[in-house]
Amino acid sequence: MATERYSFSLTTFSPSGKLVQIEYALAAVAAGASSVGILASNGVVIATENKPKSTLYEEGTIHRVEMVAEHIGMVYSGMGPDYRLLVRNARKLAQNYFLTYKEPIPVVQLVQRVANLMQEYTQSGGVRPFGVSLLICGWDHQEERPYLFQCDPSGSYFAWKATAMGKNAVNGKTFLEKRYSDDLELDDAIYNAIKTLKESFEGKMTANHIEVGICDKTGFKRLDTATINDHLANI
Amino acid sequence: MSILAYNGGCVVAMRGKDCVAIATDHRFGVQAQTIDTDFEKVHQVAPKMFLGLVGLQTDILTVRERLAFRKKLYEIRENREMTPKVFSSMLSNFLYERRFGPYFIEPVIAGLDPKTSEPFICNMDLIGCPNVPDDFVVAGTCGEQLYGMCETLWKPDLEPDQLFEVISQSMINAFDRDAISGWGASVYIIEKDKITVKKLKTRMD
Amino acid sequence: MFQQMNIQQNFPEYNIPGKQHHDFSPYESNGGSIVAIAGKGYAIIAADTRLSSGYSIHTRKQKKTFKLTDTTVLGSTGCWCDTLSLTSLLAYRMQSYVHTHQKTMSTNAIAQLISVMMYNKRFFPYYVSNVLAGLDEEGNGVVYSYDPIGHCEKTTYRAGGTAGALLQPVLDNQIGYKNQNLAEKPEITKEKAISIATDTFISASERDIYTGDSVVICIITKDGIEEKTVQLRKD
Repeated sequence: MATERYSFSLTTFSPSGKLVQIEYALAAVAAGASSVGILASNGVVIATENKPKSTLYEEGTIHRVEMVAEHIGMVYSGMGPDYRLLVRNARKLAQNYFLTYKEPIPVVQLVQRVANLMQEYTQSGGVRPFGVSLLICGWDHQEERPYLFQCDPSGSYFAWKATAMGKNAVNGKTFLEKRYSDDLELDDAIYNAIKTLKESFEGKMTANHIEVGICDKTGFKRLDTATINDHLANI
Repeated sequence: MSILAYNGGCVVAMRGKDCVAIATDHRFGVQAQTIDTDFEKVHQVAPKMFLGLVGLQTDILTVRERLAFRKKLYEIRENREMTPKVFSSMLSNFLYERRFGPYFIEPVIAGLDPKTSEPFICNMDLIGCPNVPDDFVVAGTCGEQLYGMCETLWKPDLEPDQLFEVISQSMINAFDRDAISGWGASVYIIEKDKITVKKLKTRMD
Repeated sequence: MFQQMNIQQNFPEYNIPGKQHHDFSPYESNGGSIVAIAGKGYAIIAADTRLSSGYSIHTRKQKKTFKLTDTTVLGSTGCWCDTLSLTSLLAYRMQSYVHTHQKTMSTNAIAQLISVMMYNKRFFPYYVSNVLAGLDEEGNGVVYSYDPIGHCEKTTYRAGGTAGALLQPVLDNQIGYKNQNLAEKPEITKEKAISIATDTFISASERDIYTGDSVVICIITKDGIEEKTVQLRKD
């Protein structure tokens, strides 16, 4: 069939050398809810908005911050369904690594493998790129330090000290640049992450409308609403 | 006769105080006929890690090459040295991939963790069931004899020179009672900042 | 092979469904180990007291040494019913000897008799591992060991039974001073022999499931036969 000639990939180079599908994917990310991540000296924090579109939503059932392994967690900006697939794959990759080497996967390794998967979706036939950017945070047991990575639809990834994605990413990053310092403690980082979200938050911010995940040497966990409330009280 | 005993040979590894030792005989034969009397069954796979393989010689060589391949890939991908613990899990998985058509080898791993220098010894059956004890491991055609020797001579916290004496006596007296092992032995003593290799002369029959 | 199949096809009514067919297997290994050491003026022979079959233990108190004369003790393991059969026949033959020759048998005469008795069953052998220890005409220790069809070897030390392979190299090393570059090789005293025999059994019971419970050591000197029991692992 004639149409098959064009179905090998949606991401075909434009004459100027761009892959517009990836740019559109990035646009989907930029339109998504904001999320931030900050590295502290003794841990790392990721946070995001989770504002329900209607008061009829049952709160606290769908999560945006997810655990990938004992020591790794992630969050996204962009399209929810695409994120779910990535979480599932990331968890699988982490478990596979553990089964092979009997050692928890290093964060860098997981990020590389997830990024690889995202890259495959820019060059394979019959698929489109993911409409999400990921923030992957975790603790590296070898180097005994936390890590924060961003993974884009193109498959490129970056290690950050602090960053923001989604709506108001630019403002968020400027805000973080001013506030970041190398000797930040985890509690300060949580404070700053919530503060960054609050900068662009429409309406009153409550514990039910944001999600926070933290990771230190004891592992990754999502904060419950009571704990988030405690942090909100300080702001 | 088992295909595992086609070429003959044996390997033993022991834990000491902040050190490990691994020893092997030198014989390579085809059933009762001796072909080579200088055949190495222990390979240095990392600065402080040794892999001993006994069993079918052709599989020894294949497994050694394929493991080196996987190990190099890991080290390039992760930009760090493989620890003996990780190496043994990788080997275990590698062998289990051939669960229903196995490589006819029995591996023994001995080494120190590159960072913590923690002693590590491990052995497996031919389909990769790992065994990580804190005393000694044996493999090969005179495994029973080795168990008897090691069980009487080994004790905890041996210093490197004592460990050398114990592993050498264990190995030599064990393979002297095995017709298809022997013809000299190599002993490797692995310490934090030193590796000693000693070749032992034994009876040649 | 083909003929057999044809016969079965021609007479199917003889294969009664559900009927179990058993091949007669006349042998069984009941386990157990023996160590014998001979020296100047003494001989010792030790055997464990476990009698088992497969994974089950029949008894933990079965002595496997048989006092034949005041200077000769036989240790016998393997198929226990063969041991019983052999030793009762041996007792009969030794009694006949007494009646005929008006004297008790010497150790080497018994050694020869056992060899002949075993070879008499060349094509349906006694499935036993025999070790004979005693004093010779001069009152010095001797050890004779056998294969199942009656080959006899005179030595000064021997390990036999299920842990024979484990123990023989230990004796080579400790009693025979094999692979030890010593200027002089001191004679093994009775006390040393007892201690080594005990140690080898402690080692054997660690690795051989058919050896354990306790070990009975017979110490043969011109003054008679002394018996000592040492407890071993019971698992």
